[in-house]
Order: sequence, then structure tokens, then C-alpha cells
Amino acid sequence: MRKALLLATCGVALAVSGCKYVGDDPNGSGSNVENTEYPEQVFWGDTHLHTDVSVDAYGFGNRLDQETALRFARGEEVTATKGAKAKLSRPLDFLVISDHSDAMGATKAIKEAPRIALLGDEFLLRWHDMLNESDEAALQVTAELIDGAANGTLPESVTGPEAQTERTKELWEAHGEIVDEYNEPGKFTAFMGYEYTPMPGGDNLHRVVMFRDGADKATTVLPYSSQGFAGNPEKLWEHMAAYEKDTGGKMLAMPHNSNVSNGRMFEMQKYDGSPIDKAYAETRAKYEPVVEVTQIKGDSEAHPFLSPNDEFAAFGDAGWDKCNLSCTGGDTKPEQYAGSYAREALKRGLELMQTVGANPFKFGMIGSTDSHTSLATADEDNFFGKHSQNELNREDRAMQPQNLGTRRGRFGWHYLSSGYAAAWATSNSREAIFDAFQRREVYATTGPRMTVRFFGGFDFAEGDTENLVSTGYEKGVPMGGDLSGGDGEAPKFLISAMMDPESASLDRVQIVKGWVDASGKSQEEIYNVSWADAENRNIGADGKLAPVPNTVNLTKGEWDNATGAPELVTLWQDPDFDASQNAFYYVRVLEIPTPTWPVYDALKFGLTLPDDVIKVQQERAYTSPIWYTPKA
Amino acid sequence: MAETSWLKRLLKEPLVHFLGGALLVFAFFWATGTNRDPTDYTINIDRSDIERLQANWTQNFRRPPSAEELNGLVDQEITEEIYYREALRLGLDRGDPVIRRRLFTKMRFLGNQEVNDPTNAELQKWMEGNPGKYALSSAYDLQQVYLGQIGAMAETDIAAAAEQLNNGSAKPANLSEPISLPLALKAAGTQAIARQFGERFVQALAPLKTGKWVGPIPSGFGQHLVKVDKRIPGKPAALEDVRQAVTNDWRAAQTADQEKKSLDNLRSQYEIRVAGRE
Repeated sequence: MRKALLLATCGVALAVSGCKYVGDDPNGSGSNVENTEYPEQVFWGDTHLHTDVSVDAYGFGNRLDQETALRFARGEEVTATKGAKAKLSRPLDFLVISDHSDAMGATKAIKEAPRIALLGDEFLLRWHDMLNESDEAALQVTAELIDGAANGTLPESVTGPEAQTERTKELWEAHGEIVDEYNEPGKFTAFMGYEYTPMPGGDNLHRVVMFRDGADKATTVLPYSSQGFAGNPEKLWEHMAAYEKDTGGKMLAMPHNSNVSNGRMFEMQKYDGSPIDKAYAETRAKYEPVVEVTQIKGDSEAHPFLSPNDEFAAFGDAGWDKCNLSCTGGDTKPEQYAGSYAREALKRGLELMQTVGANPFKFGMIGSTDSHTSLATADEDNFFGKHSQNELNREDRAMQPQNLGTRRGRFGWHYLSSGYAAAWATSNSREAIFDAFQRREVYATTGPRMTVRFFGGFDFAEGDTENLVSTGYEKGVPMGGDLSGGDGEAPKFLISAMMDPESASLDRVQIVKGWVDASGKSQEEIYNVSWADAENRNIGADGKLAPVPNTVNLTKGEWDNATGAPELVTLWQDPDFDASQNAFYYVRVLEIPTPTWPVYDALKFGLTLPDDVIKVQQERAYTSPIWYTPKA
Repeated sequence: MAETSWLKRLLKEPLVHFLGGALLVFAFFWATGTNRDPTDYTINIDRSDIERLQANWTQNFRRPPSAEELNGLVDQEITEEIYYREALRLGLDRGDPVIRRRLFTKMRFLGNQEVNDPTNAELQKWMEGNPGKYALSSAYDLQQVYLGQIGAMAETDIAAAAEQLNNGSAKPANLSEPISLPLALKAAGTQAIARQFGERFVQALAPLKTGKWVGPIPSGFGQHLVKVDKRIPGKPAALEDVRQAVTNDWRAAQTADQEKKSLDNLRSQYEIRVAGRE
């Protein structure tokens, strides 16, 4: 099967020339990677990428395989499915190819071919016609496939784990082989992984699953598929625990797109409706230490309904907050938002900490693309779209309806060119990066690669911003860590944020604090802690910092970096601290306003964008929180 | 007699071996896709089927299924088998572009032999045949002073600062605006420098003379004074440094080559006419 996979890429491989994706580091050699004493470098990656192995990506027309995806991520030029040349502005350091475990390769494996045709009478013959008709019709077939999965109307023969076992095994072993080959410790890390894809009633409960191990261990199991248990994540954790016990390996799972879960991703009960108990909370926190909060299908950090005082909460919500993934659950009701957004989940976790004695939602935050094009792109001026039908060279893609399993209004421009995962690790290796995820020393960005450090402690002093990193590790805990004690004194935080030298300068750094008040209810507050042009921009009577000027020139796709800061560094102490209250703190960094990807499309193709298309945005980073727990 | 020699020749034809092999493999997959006759109305779930179901479950959960769970698995298997046979009766496997595509992929697969592990000599040859691709980039020993954002410092002041550094009357650390960038880099490759300072900065380094503070040099952050102490030119890589990449590329090329040969072989058997094409 290995060979078949290779075949699909050969045209691409031959087309590649003059790339210098290796050998750029004169000191780099061999596979013996040295780990630094503490995490000195931030590594950039995408943990959520689909190739032609994913049943829907293939349906969308993606014909690029896993090897091509790996080559692209490490900086080579490839030819996208629809013919455009594709290359990242800068290589990534790591990649998790996460093809769907449900119906993995359902459209790929010849020996099950007759079974694949068993799709139930109601739409089967239509599918035949539509697949033959046009790209648009093929897209509609994929939409219906997603729909069918959401409604549970796909026949067992497509979705049943047993039917898939053989083709999955073959594909999984091929995945292991290619990933092992491209994993070069010290240069580029390729992880084994897949996506677990349950969506009962269209509510997105998807998780990306990532292995610390290579193929030798990881192929002793098969990608776990959701259908047998209709999506109860407890079964996934049971599967992970069994793997770890049996092999001594490690796995973790990362929920994503909670924004289209109609409140179910972070609901205050178990999947079966029973109350959350301590064992559930501990198991969930153990196996799901990180949540992917920003990606092409919107941003799940916050929502204005939940955070009315946060003027930046609406980022990436447009279109996605109307309904669940397939829009099969009716309009999303306001009371469902709370279970759909990460900040609220972090707050709920604190409440559960008090009521059941453990926090199921103690997670760090990353971004990733969820691209279905095999191309891990998150830059606005180099966005290859959600899937192969809206790749870079499709003129009208921003305005096309994107009814992926929906019957209503989501359009191309609702897609964000987002996000990447940043990991503070001691080397570029599977072990070091996986461990960074596990200890939540990671952060999310919506694409730009800003460098963000965040340390909490009780003993920091004013001058500690000078040697922020070494002092941070020495006297405090990094992002993702825990604080306790402090003799009632308010914790202090060392924060630094440096702009991406290929992107925009910085508007501000904020701390988002959540806590549980005396009545047991969670609260939130946002503090502006450092910002550009501090001489002229002040915090007003309403507690809000004056906005940074918008310098975007829409006719050129340019902006003026002089309005923002190249770097913001500060020491901040919580002014409203109550030592008896559970709390978390995370950092949000905002860039100055820049153009969105439809603006670059409009410039390239001479389009006029309608008014409702968002044309200017402030890209951002979210760090993992630091939690404060009162002394027992 | 003539007929026999025609048959003999045919049997010697590699393409026939190839297609025969393909048919066998295909028949095997077809037959093992299910071990039961699809035209039959009897479904037997035998001991080996149950063992397979149990084994799959055990692989997932590292424990055997309970009696109830096993019953569920068996029922699922039966449902699947019924759908499968009914679909074949209805001819739903025919004329399906997805299935057509799978057959296409499978044929490509069959057209290729497993590529053996390359020898060192093969890799060395491949690497030398693609010199630009595996060369180590140039590297720098350099010092830099950050002057703030573009426009923050007048050109005359920049010139004066460079002069101070060159005549030793000022130290780099005292002139640099605060920013978390190293004042000195040792043997830093261009990719590592670009990662820290942006591509623009690297571009600007190439023409600089060594041993002298010059500026302003632009970066993603603003502008800098830079002194290149040493430029270490790029050179061809040693195989050991890039072995994995070379192996991957070599293998991809072998496979591509094989596929092309195999298709050419097949295609030569066809007479192809395309309207409007000579």
C-alpha cells in the first residue's frame, strides 16, 4: 500500500526542484538530538491536517497524499490539487496528519469497493449522478456524507468499525511508515495521529488524537472510530488507557470546533447525561490536556454573548455561531453557547473543581488549520482554503456558499486563515514536543508566529523582566502550570510578546482572568497589561483601552507597523486577588489591524467584496492558562 | 501450428504476466472481501468470523468483548453482509466513479515493484545529481544593534551611531533599544537568522562587507546596525547529514519512474483517438 501512496505524489515530487528544506542548519546532523535544559525555543506546527485519506477531503477533490503534506509542511513547493503552486513562507517544525478514523480511506480501498457503494437507497443513486456531474455536485455529495454522519443515516457498511478494520489497518500502517521516514529529530517532527470524528445530531465532538510514539508502538492499535458508541468520548479514553498500559506509549486527544457543538463539547454532564464525577474529571483532564481553539472553521476562544465586556470576543465567530456543524440541530440557542467556547469551559472547570473536586476542563490552548487540502496554510496572503474546492486559484471562493452539510448561510469568507500551534520544547523531537503539549506549555495563534512567554509566581520583582525567561523558570511556573500557596499575596506574572517579523506589530497584551466567586459562580475579567504607544493611549472611564489606529490600505493590502510595538514586556500583579478563590489566568496578544484573506483575493482577481465580508481583523495569540488553587 | 505460436508468444509477453497477476490479485481481494457467496441467501457467521470480531475488539480495548458486546458485533456484521449482497444484486458497484477511481489506484499499485533500500552509492549519486537541493546554506558570525522601528531614528543619528561603534567609543549593548534579540550570533545559518529576524534581514546581509558596523539594515522589527564578523560560505552536504531526505527523494523518484514505465507499457497496447487531436 505504501507504494500506492507514494505513487500519488510522484508527479509532485518530480516537479519539486531547487528546494532547500534540509541542510540549512550547518550544525544540524544525525538523529541524536540534544535537549536544552529548559525550553529555549518555540516550535511551530499544525496538529490538524487532512489528506486524501480522509473520506471527506477526498470527496472535496483532494488528491494530495500524506507524503506531499509532509513535504509541504517542511517547506517544499508542491502543486495543489487544483493546480496552483503552493509553498509556505516559512517551514513548520512539526506536523500531525490527522485523517478521519471514521470511514478512514472509505473511498480509497479497492477491496472494500462494493461495500462502499452501500449507502442506503435514499441518496445512493443521486450520489452517482452528482459525482459524475460536476465539482459542485461532488461537493454536495460530501456535504451529504457529513450530514448523513451527523444524522446517523449512513449505513453500517460505511461507518462500522469492523467493516473498516482491514482498509484502516493498511492505511494506518502506511501512515506509520511515511511518518517515521519524514520524522527527523532536530529538524522536523512528524507525529502519528488521526481524528476521532463523532457528531451526534450534528454536534461536533471531534478530537485530534496524537501519539508520542512511532509506528512500532502506534500500529499495534488501529485509529479508534466513533461509530460503535455514537461518540461517547469516555470510550476513546478507555481505548487510550488500554494502549498506554499495553505498550508503555503515550497518547493525547485534542477537542476542536467546540464552536459548532451546540454546547456539547464542554457540557456540565457526561455524554450519557449523568453528572460529572471526580473520576470522569480526572480522566478527561489527563487525556485531553490541550484544546484546539482556533482553526479555519472559526475561533472558539470566546463569544460576545458570554463575554459582553470583551470588545474582541467576536473574532472568528461570524457564521459559525448560527448552528452546529451540519446545522441539523436547529439554530444554536444562546444558552448553548456556554458549552461551546473555551473561556467559558475554563470557568466551568473551576466550578466543577469546587463541586466534584477535580477539573475536567483544565486544558491548554493551541491553534491548527484543519485544512482538508493536505496543505497546512494559515497565512492570510497564502491561504489555500478549507478544502480543494476553495483553493487559492478559485476566484469567487470568498463568496461561495459553504453549505458543508448545512442548508443555510455559511460562506467562503467565514473561513479563517487560522491557526498554528506553538510549543515551548527542549528540542524539536516527538518526545519533547509531545511532553510540552502534555504539560500545556503551548499556545495558539491565528496564523502569525509571535513569540509569547508567560510565567506566574509569587516572588517576581520589578527587575525580573530583564532576564525574563531564566527568572520565569527559576522563580515561577510557565504557561500551563499550577500555582498554589503564596501566603495570601496576589500572584505576579512575567509576560513578553514579540511580533512575528514577517507579520504585523502588536497592539496590546491582555490577561484574561477567570475565578469562582463566593456563591460558587464563575466570573471573568480582562486586564490590558501592556500596549503600544503607551504615552498616548490610555484606559478610559469604561475600563477600555483606546483602540489602536487602523492603518490598513485595502487597495494595496498594506498596513503601517509603526502604530504597533515590536515587543511588549511587563510584570503584572493581579489587583483583585482573593486567595480563597480558584482562578486561572491566560494571555491574549493582539496584533494591529491587518487585512483578511478575502482582501488579498480581491486584489489578485480584481473583485469587489460585498459590505458584510470582514476585511480587517486583529490576529492574535492565546496562551495556555496558569491556574491558581487555594492551599488545602 | 500458427495458433500455438501465437499463444506461446502471448504467454511470453510480460504484459500478459502482469495482467494475469493483476487478475489474480484482484480475484483474491474480491474473494476475501467476504468469504461468502454474494448470490446466496444464507448467511453463516462461522467460528473464524467471530474470532475476527473478537480480535478486532480486543485490539481496540485490550480486553475481549462481553457476551452482550459480542452479540452487537455479530448483528452489525449480519446487517453489513445483507446490505453488501443486496447492493451487488442491484449492481450498485458498477458505474461508480469512486470505485472506478479505486481501480485506477490499484492498477497503479500493481504496476510497481517494491523499491529496494538504496545503497550508499546510489544515494551518493542521487545527492550529487541534485547539488542545489542538499547544499548547506551559508552562515554568519555577526553582531547587531536594534535601532527601533523604521523612522524612529534620524539617518544622521544612525550614521553617528555606526561611527561610534566602529571607532570603539560606544558598546553595542548601550546603543541597542530593548528587544529580546541576541546582540551576537555565532555560525548562524540563514534559515535560523530568518526565523529570528525575518527574511528581509537575511537578504540584506549578503552584500555586506565584513568587519565593519553598517546600517540601517531592515528587519521585521525595524532597523539595525550590523557588523558581519565572518561569512561562512555554503557547501555541499555530506550524505550523513541529509541521508533521510535523500532517501525519501530517491525513493519517490524510483516509484515515479516505475509508474511511468508501467503506464507506457500499457498505453502502447492501445490505439487512442481523441477528437481534434492529431
